Amino acid sequence: MVSEECRLLTNEPIAPDHHVMTLATSQIAKLARPGQFVHLRIPGTYDPLLRRPISVMLAERAHGHLQLVVRVAGRGTEIIAKTAAGSLLELLGPLGTPFPLPGEGGLTGEGDVLLVAGGVGVAPLVFLADALREFDPPAYVRGLFGAANEDMLVCWTEFAARCDEFYVTTEDGSAGEQGLITEALAGQLERGQARVVYACGPVGMMAQVAGMCREVHVPCYCSLEQRMGCGVGACLSCAVQAAGGGYVRVCKDGPIFAAERLDWEAIAGEQQ
Amino acid sequence: MSSSSPDLSVSIGGLKLKNPVMAASGTFGYGVEYAELFDIGALGAIVIKAVTLRPREGNRPPRVVETPAGMLNAIGRQHPGADAVIAEKLPELAKHDVPIIVNLSGEAIDEYVELAEKFTECGLADALELNVSCPNVKHGMVFGTCPELTGELVRAVRRATDLPLITKLSPNVTDITEIAVSAVEAGSDALSAINTLLGMSIDVQRRRPLLGNVTGGLSGPAIKPVALRCVWQVYEAVEVPVIGMGGIMDTSDALEFIMAGASAVGVGTAHFVNPTVSVEIVEGLQRYCGEHGLASISDLIGVAHS
Repeated sequence: MVSEECRLLTNEPIAPDHHVMTLATSQIAKLARPGQFVHLRIPGTYDPLLRRPISVMLAERAHGHLQLVVRVAGRGTEIIAKTAAGSLLELLGPLGTPFPLPGEGGLTGEGDVLLVAGGVGVAPLVFLADALREFDPPAYVRGLFGAANEDMLVCWTEFAARCDEFYVTTEDGSAGEQGLITEALAGQLERGQARVVYACGPVGMMAQVAGMCREVHVPCYCSLEQRMGCGVGACLSCAVQAAGGGYVRVCKDGPIFAAERLDWEAIAGEQQ
Repeated sequence: MSSSSPDLSVSIGGLKLKNPVMAASGTFGYGVEYAELFDIGALGAIVIKAVTLRPREGNRPPRVVETPAGMLNAIGRQHPGADAVIAEKLPELAKHDVPIIVNLSGEAIDEYVELAEKFTECGLADALELNVSCPNVKHGMVFGTCPELTGELVRAVRRATDLPLITKLSPNVTDITEIAVSAVEAGSDALSAINTLLGMSIDVQRRRPLLGNVTGGLSGPAIKPVALRCVWQVYEAVEVPVIGMGGIMDTSDALEFIMAGASAVGVGTAHFVNPTVSVEIVEGLQRYCGEHGLASISDLIGVAHS
């Protein structure tokens, strides 16, 4: 973890309320692992006050370039998204527990790796797919991407390029199959040969993915979001309900959690 | 610039600090969370997160919500319990060269006494801070809003420890000086002012309170004028050192508190915005003293009153 002032190299609007930002870092891109995030200070104001946690989409170690997808969800992310290329942004990172890669954390089985993305949740999965390509022996990656409509399939080319198979659903049928990504996942799980499922998207989606994986005994890891304070595990603001009672910290114990560690019913209930 | 480096050391009820900048309770965990980023030994002291006697789960989420230039928190003292802190957390923090102030949070007087005894005996605490002002716990603020109860509590804890004893005051009272005087008369060596202001926020789409706990403690730049006024009043009412806190974001804010009468300052919510802010304030105070030819930071304590 380091605190850095980073030059914003590019800031591209890619869809309504979505920007891809590329930053020049000296350390963070080199240190970042798939699933980790950076805590971005809102430039030039104390109102809003707190930093915004943003997942890393890609980290180019050679140049130290870091790519983030920023979705405008409120005033804070709006100010960040409006930052002009050439400006400096303060980043704290990389933070949090990354995705365990096959071979780590007991993921020793055979079979394909399934990545399930919902909307802007694609970001950490692009980074993960990137890491899996360089895996030895190579992991066979099936990517699943769902969104409300074609516009919200943000960064789909970056995702698709890193998957061996790629499936798309939209709720309105404007791209791919009409329907929900969980329906596509059901078909993929029926095919068998899934060694692990990694998911990032809305909590409702991830809760369903977690339940489906549990039924077929496939390990599942999810990336969570929560209102956050410090980002380093000190303030306990970003707690979510753990399975079996108590709380875990999204910033430090997560944002990546083994699905069975969480009380999905309680977490999904809070966000309704 | 003066040729010799200005003296930043201050004394808080018998506790000597190399500089007046503390990390405030609840925002800095057990210190070690930030040790990866900077030398936490450069701080005047670290006040660890409020310790409860037994493990506690804390409040249901959401636990934090932003408000104009501030934030509301309702963590609800999620805590591993006193024994776990003594066995696991304090030994790690004690590896750093920085005084440890343990913030104690109880439900009843005998709980505070038991906590004070445990942390006095463990030998790793340099001072105790009585949290009589937590707004996020049932009855948490009761002690701190009643002068008689505050006095009774401080007297009981005073008998249980010979460590410097600090009482952390709540701003959620009509007259903060009444509580301050009562705590000092009962044996408090110093006072911290202030804890968070009780507040709330409502989600107009869902038509429900935003915090899981409904109400929470307001902190950040929004509360600075209130905190500064409290420090000013408390400084005039008592003779013991005051630790000023509430919305301090930079050196200039810290100087305001010192000039209002604070012998030391607590930096809290600012760590979430800028994790290295407290060491930057130490450097800033050094620079200010140098630029103004001050031999010691203590020359500034309370100067705005004269």
